[in-house]
Amino acid sequence: MSAVSHRTRLTVVPSYRIAVGRGLSILAALSVVAITLAAMGRSPIELAALVVRSTVGSRFGIEDLALFMTPLMLTGAAVWVGIRVNLWNIGAEGQLYAGATAATAIGLFTHWPALVALPAMIVAGMLAGAAWIFVPAAARAWLGVSEIVTSLLLNFVASLLVYYLATGPWADRVTGALASTERLHMAFPELWGAVHLGFILALATVIGLGIGLAKSRFGYETAVCGSNPQAAHYAGIGVAPRILAVLLLSGALAGLAGVFEVAGTVHRLQGGLANNYGYLGIVVALLARGSCLALIPAALLMALILDTGIVLQTTQISSSAVLAITGLLVLAIAAGDELAAYVRVNRT
Amino acid sequence: MADVTHTPNAPPRHLPAGTPPILELVNIAKYFPGVIANEHVSLNVFPGEIHALLGENGAGKSTLMNVVTGLYQPDAGEIIIDGYGTTFPAPDAAISAGIGMVHQHFRLVPRFTVAENLHLGWSETPKRLSAKDIEARAKALSTKFGLPVRPSAIVSSLSAGEQQRVEILRVLSRGARLLILDEPTAVLSPVEVGELFSALRRFRSEGGAVIIISHKLDEIMALADRVSVLRQGRLIGTHQVADVTPDSLVTEMIGRPVALATSYPRQASAPEVGKAEPLSLQQVIVRDNAGVVRLDNVSLSLRPGEILGIAGVTGNGQPELAEVLTGLKDPESGTIFLNGKAVNRADPAMFAHAGVGHVPEDRLKRALMPGLSVAENMALREYDHPPIGGKFSFSMPQARKFAQMLADKAGVKLPGTQVQIRGLSGGNQQRLVLEREIRIASHVLVASYPSRGLDIGAISAMRDMLARARDAGVAVVLMSEDLDEIFALSDRIAVLYAGRLMGIMARADAGRDSIGALMSGRSLSEAA
Repeated sequence: MSAVSHRTRLTVVPSYRIAVGRGLSILAALSVVAITLAAMGRSPIELAALVVRSTVGSRFGIEDLALFMTPLMLTGAAVWVGIRVNLWNIGAEGQLYAGATAATAIGLFTHWPALVALPAMIVAGMLAGAAWIFVPAAARAWLGVSEIVTSLLLNFVASLLVYYLATGPWADRVTGALASTERLHMAFPELWGAVHLGFILALATVIGLGIGLAKSRFGYETAVCGSNPQAAHYAGIGVAPRILAVLLLSGALAGLAGVFEVAGTVHRLQGGLANNYGYLGIVVALLARGSCLALIPAALLMALILDTGIVLQTTQISSSAVLAITGLLVLAIAAGDELAAYVRVNRT
Repeated sequence: MADVTHTPNAPPRHLPAGTPPILELVNIAKYFPGVIANEHVSLNVFPGEIHALLGENGAGKSTLMNVVTGLYQPDAGEIIIDGYGTTFPAPDAAISAGIGMVHQHFRLVPRFTVAENLHLGWSETPKRLSAKDIEARAKALSTKFGLPVRPSAIVSSLSAGEQQRVEILRVLSRGARLLILDEPTAVLSPVEVGELFSALRRFRSEGGAVIIISHKLDEIMALADRVSVLRQGRLIGTHQVADVTPDSLVTEMIGRPVALATSYPRQASAPEVGKAEPLSLQQVIVRDNAGVVRLDNVSLSLRPGEILGIAGVTGNGQPELAEVLTGLKDPESGTIFLNGKAVNRADPAMFAHAGVGHVPEDRLKRALMPGLSVAENMALREYDHPPIGGKFSFSMPQARKFAQMLADKAGVKLPGTQVQIRGLSGGNQQRLVLEREIRIASHVLVASYPSRGLDIGAISAMRDMLARARDAGVAVVLMSEDLDEIFALSDRIAVLYAGRLMGIMARADAGRDSIGALMSGRSLSEAA
């Protein structure tokens, strides 16, 4: 018999194949980084040792990772709840700013006890995040206007608004710090070094979200709307209100990231506070695929890359390296996921 | 009986003996995890032949054709083209060997013009060309193959029959000598079926070969030269069509004789047709988005324990009628009465809760979520109450259990309740939708073309289900293009023509001629 192809594509890929594929992808991406560094005349082994020492190898490194993970888990979750129903919230960056701004208002202008102020910050930040996406969400739900463009454009508005506040009405008149407000009057309590309560709350939010969507009627109905709006209508599920609800939830999650960032990590509202967390949330959500809990390791990986970038910067390597490594990794993982779907056919 | 006429290697009688086949399949096998899709399938197709492939849902017809077109690799066996053994590592290899397939769901780009679709992904498309050039080329192709198309028309604006012609033309223009058609008549009106058949006959007379997959026995008898029957992945027999009858083919296909009943008498215990009207329409007018009147002053009322058959050529207002009856669409004027109360606003949830089930015309588009699991799809009508869900909750384990129960009742073998429903065959999807809808249809069941895509065994089961629902006191609305089906099941028959209801008559008073006349728009007095 003549030769035939030995491989076929699986429609449903078992998770262990994905895991193996991703392990190999990360290895491949890291090899390319190592080769590039070697070609630049650097020693990849020394740099790797330095990176490991300064990230997972030290107390400060681990604290840093947790601080990076906190907003990444939440912006990842924000993008993820949208993708789950075929909606793309590209505006997590802006919603993060909105949430941070709301929390800052409470932190600067009230003197409430922490037990009141911190929950108030969380509520206000989530509402502000949801409000920031309200117009794109309503336009998508009832008018069919693409949420991708509208949510993206509002990022620039939010960013400029924060710069305005931080240099104008809310600017720090005491120390004269550039583009920054004063230190907030209260902060999320630190639990372990610089790691604050926000990390635990973000972790709990992601876990709760995963369980909640899997076991709730809302989770089911939105899955139906995302998969086939016509079938949802047929079953009497109103599609537009659920699109709105999902996008508002998405905005609220990104807003929460802003609350923890400003009132846990940075303590001041600053221009550039969002640090691309909103956009990196898209990467985190894509890495997590269909699983909400997978947002946690995905955020960890992204945090490692960010940290690596900072370490490399201290050795005079361009800060753009972070973007290059991120891109390389996403490309390798996309290829790995695709290849994991192909299996050898047993011939008889 | 079947074995006497089983002559797998002889060419059709109108061809000279010794004609070499264009395609030979030898002992083809294809396995999927836990399933034998094809095994020991050997088949010849000759130039100048129309070869029908027949089998139940899941008999392995589609898998076999996917092997022939290079979409799947066979796990065993040989493919021989023009006497040379060959392999198709990918579909383009099959295309360059002269094999072209027209799928049941067209693979056209809806927003592109006919000419653009014809030239898409074709090595002979010139590198630089204008819209005018490709339209001229499309016109030339259309004339060459005798398939009339409008090159500048946008594909999404075409009828199913026109789209199919574009698809066939695309395949032929790439030099196909063997044309494979998967249920080509399922979406066509009778006139379009006639046009398709004459195009296929012309292709055959020019030495082309055709493999046609169909469930419709009368079409096979009318069109094909030879017929091969698959059952459970194996080839049961290949015959000259002149040597077989529809009955013998059915027996071979199912493994036992199945005759579709011509009537479904009421069970003695069934209650009489009720007087109450669970659902009625009064002077309903519906326009589509383009402002064209689709339902014109339609009044009708349903009665419990009765099947109302809606006859009519496809596209005369059937989808709109089904949508109005199930709360999917608001009429422009007129009133809908649900259990005696006028409905103010179309609300499908309200209709479903009032016990109105709906088997829509296009199940994948409307009744199913292709990307979600079988369990989630089966839960669609009952997710909002125990055991599957509640006001806020949803239980996947319960949904899976429920889906398995429905599948068992519908006689569908599932590879698991967590698999995506788009992986199931069209027939199995239809059976599951039917089972799901009959469960909630405590008062009304609207079934649009429920036998589409089903094999004869499944059609027989489906009809029994409708008759049982009727006996249980449900008001059933049956829309079908198959007059035999309408006559076998209906208590009353209504005819839709150009959105108008051309009269409702009792089954006993309806004759085929008078219904046929009404379907073509003549009034009864004209027909008489």
